[in-house]
Order: sequence, then C-alpha cells, then structure tokens
Amino acid sequence: MVSRVLVPMDDSEMAAGALRFALSTFPSAAVTVLHVAGGPTSYMGEAMSLAVADDVDGAVAERAEPVFERARAIADDADREITTEVELGSPAKTIINHAEGFDLVVVGSHSSNLASRLLLGNVAETVARNAPVPVTIVR
Amino acid sequence: MIEGLLLIGVLVAMFVGYNIGGSTTGPAFGPAVGAGTISKTVAAALMSVFFFIGAWTIGRRVVDTLGRELVTNPDIFTLPASITVLFFIGLALFVGNVFGVPASTSMTAVGAIAGLGLASNALDWAVMGEIVSWWLVAPVIGFWLSAVIGRYFYAALNKRVALVQTEGPLLTIDRSGLLPVITFGPGTTKREMVGTTIVVSIGCIMAFSSGTSNVANAIAPLVGSGALEMNTGIVIACVAVGIGAFTIARRTLDTLGNDITALPLTAAIVVATVSAILVISLSAIGIPASFVVIATMSIIGLGWGRATRTMRASRESISDQAGDARVTVGSLAADTEGEELPDIGEEDPEDIPAAADLFNPSTTARVILMQNVVPLISTVGAYLVFRFVPVFGF
Repeated sequence: MVSRVLVPMDDSEMAAGALRFALSTFPSAAVTVLHVAGGPTSYMGEAMSLAVADDVDGAVAERAEPVFERARAIADDADREITTEVELGSPAKTIINHAEGFDLVVVGSHSSNLASRLLLGNVAETVARNAPVPVTIVR
Repeated sequence: MIEGLLLIGVLVAMFVGYNIGGSTTGPAFGPAVGAGTISKTVAAALMSVFFFIGAWTIGRRVVDTLGRELVTNPDIFTLPASITVLFFIGLALFVGNVFGVPASTSMTAVGAIAGLGLASNALDWAVMGEIVSWWLVAPVIGFWLSAVIGRYFYAALNKRVALVQTEGPLLTIDRSGLLPVITFGPGTTKREMVGTTIVVSIGCIMAFSSGTSNVANAIAPLVGSGALEMNTGIVIACVAVGIGAFTIARRTLDTLGNDITALPLTAAIVVATVSAILVISLSAIGIPASFVVIATMSIIGLGWGRATRTMRASRESISDQAGDARVTVGSLAADTEGEELPDIGEEDPEDIPAAADLFNPSTTARVILMQNVVPLISTVGAYLVFRFVPVFGF
C-alpha cells in the first residue's frame, strides 16, 4: 500500500508530468512535493545568490515559491492537497536523503535544458539507483 | 582569389566580434540596465567605446601572443587556415549562446590555434605552457580574493552598496543661465549618484577588460598571417563588437535566465571587479584570459566565503547576547566596528554549513569541466581538420 509519495520537482514540464501521474495513480496517498534549490548552474550564480543572502532560509523559500505555485495549481486541478518541502544542495543526493520515510518516489525523467543536464547528470537515474525506497520514473 | 578569401576572413572575424559584443554586453551592463540606471542604447554605446579603448591599448599584446608567438611559424596562418580557426571560435560562441553552455572564447581560440599548431608541428610549447599555467592560477586567485571578501567584508559592503532609485531623471540640465549647468535631478540623492556611478563604472571596466582579452579572438589569425594590419584589424573587430552590442545584446540583456545578470547587486559588483582586474592584468602580460572560468571561480569563492562566515556581531549585540554561546568574541572584525550588521544572531547556525555544501568540490569540478567542453572540442576538432583534411597540406 502506497500511502506516502515524494515528488521531487524543478521548473520543468517533466516534473509537472510526474506530479500529475502521482496524483492520478495514487488517489488516496499523501503527496509531498520537494524542491531542491541552489543546485549547480552554468556560472554557479544561483547557489551564490542564496549563500550571500542575509536570510538564507527566506531566500531559499522565495526561490522555491514559483515551483510550489505550479504544483499547487496542478493539485487544485486534481482536487487534492499537497505538502511542500524545500531543501538546499545537490539535487540527486538531497532527494535520496529525503526519500527515507516515504513509500515511493515519483520523478520526471529529465530536466529542461542541456546545460543543467550536463551539470546534474541524469538525476532520475541516480535517484532510481540509490534511493532506499522504490522509484517510479515518469516519461 | 586571394582578395575574395580575405573578404571571407574579415567577414568571419566580424561574425566572431559581433558575437563577442552580443554576449559580453549582458554580463557587463546587465546590473546597470536592470537597475534602470542607463538605457540599453547607452549600455551598447559604452560597451563599444570601452571595448575599443581596451583593445587599442592592451588588447594588441594578446593579439601578438596568439597571432605571432603561440606558433613558431606564422606562415601556417594561410588564409584558409585562419578562416577555419575563426570558424571554430565562432562555432563555440554559437554553441554557448544557443545551448546556454558557457565557454571561454579565449580558451576556445587558443585551443583552435593550438590544434593548428599541433597539426603543422609549429606549436610553441613554452608559450602554450605559460598560457595554460595562468589558466590554472588566475581562477584560484579569483576564488581566494572573492572568498576573503565574502567572508569578511560582504555584509559591510552590502550595507553601503544599497542602490536607491528615485523618481525622475538622474541629472537635469539647467539652461536658464548663460552656461548650461548640470544639476542633480529631482529627488536625486548623493548616495544614489554614487551608487549609479559605481554600477556604470563597473560595466565600463568589464567592457574594457573584454576588449583587452577578446579582440585577439576575432583577429589574431588574420593579423598573424599578415593579411591584416594590427590597427586595421582592431578597428574592424571593434566595429563588429559595436554592431553586436547595439543589436543582439538587446536580447541577451533581457534574458533573465542569465546566471550572472541575475546576481544580487553587491555580489555582481564584487565578481565583476575581481574578474575584470584579473583579466586586464593577464592581458597586460599578453596572456589570453578565460573570463568565464575566472568569473565562475570568483562567484563560487564569494558564495563559499559568505556561507562559511563566522558569526559576526557588533559590540552592542555582544553585550545584548552575552549569554548566547553562538556569538564568539573572536569574530569581531575591526572593519565592522560601529556598523550594525543585518546578520546579527538572526541566522540559525545550521543554515551556514548547509549553504557551504552548495560549493562542494565535486560540484565545482563539474561546473568547470562543463565550461571546458567547448574549448576541448575546438582543440581536437581543429587538430583533426588541419591534420587530415588534405586542403591544408600540413
């Protein structure tokens, strides 16, 4: 019985697809959306913008807000409630550490652009290989 | 025939310059335009002027290095070879712009010329070694300088830089007297004037530094082969950069996704200053610098330095929070005396190591590796083309 589902999301269409899949496939599960902020970017500008902020937590929450807004809109369409959580760091590693305590991780197959794919590698594959719980990769 | 080829060479060189103008104006003047201090047209004009000054004064030394010293025999820069080298450089900029994968133009240019030199057995390994050593050393210096600033001075700096914008024009011209007098616009404060001046000056310094280091990428092969005079070449490159600044840069200035233009203002100023000074210094000794890598290491240094800062406190807050074990007297810094810093006791100490984790060595290595992909491809590609395509006959 899958009762707690973790859906890691970035701003990509793939991530939105993963959330829609999780909501429709597990109609009675509690769905938590996780956004990892401050991952590597082409010039590391995003991580630095967070690190130099006076209020790191506030800056991280602000960065995650657009992703969560989109997630809530998707949840509203499905008439569901979701929990949101934000973490800081390297996406794959953070998702794996966070997966403990969930029954299943549902993740989109890749992120949006070439630069982040070069930088992050295949997050979905890394999570699938190393997560302590079952992982569903949505295409 | 030869003149037709030269025309193609100049056009390809101008294409490289055009792309340099387009891709450099954003990082240089993005903060100033973003804050509404100058218009895009003014930014393009400043870019053109300061690029030209940098290219004319210091840039020619780098042209010498790339066009005459990196190869033991400048005769290998036949017109077809020069055009091919420029083609690889243009391609790198194209890839960077289209796929959002940043690549240093200078590293790509050196790589392509080194590929040509290797294929024709004319690469001067001593010069190549010197250039590559600086590519390793300069980013480390950039990291270290920025880390020191981030750790010890950022909070105080951030307080001072706050850019306040008031309504109305910055300056007005009073024509009522005998001579027109320039005065501050309505509501313009001295502080605003200083902040604006700093942001615009930083853009000018970056444009200047780009001129010192990047003009060579557009014209070095043509000047090295003797097909173009140095001064003619510099003027042609600068015109092309100007065209790029006035046209495609308008779009790159708008791109919010750009990692550098989106930095907090204080951070952008620190990174721009540190990187520009390093690039200008290297250009002055004839070394083509990799602005992309230097700027990235400066960004990482600043973020890491700031993330690993010790808890800072003013003297008042020490007495306020005397019982608080998190505040250490040892963290009192002389430069912050009397300044009330925003981070006093506000942070959960657990945040700080978490933020420092953002810059772990494997992440950093991955970012720098990605920035070296395009230069590497251009080196290998140029080598293979010049070695095995019979047209070049090396």
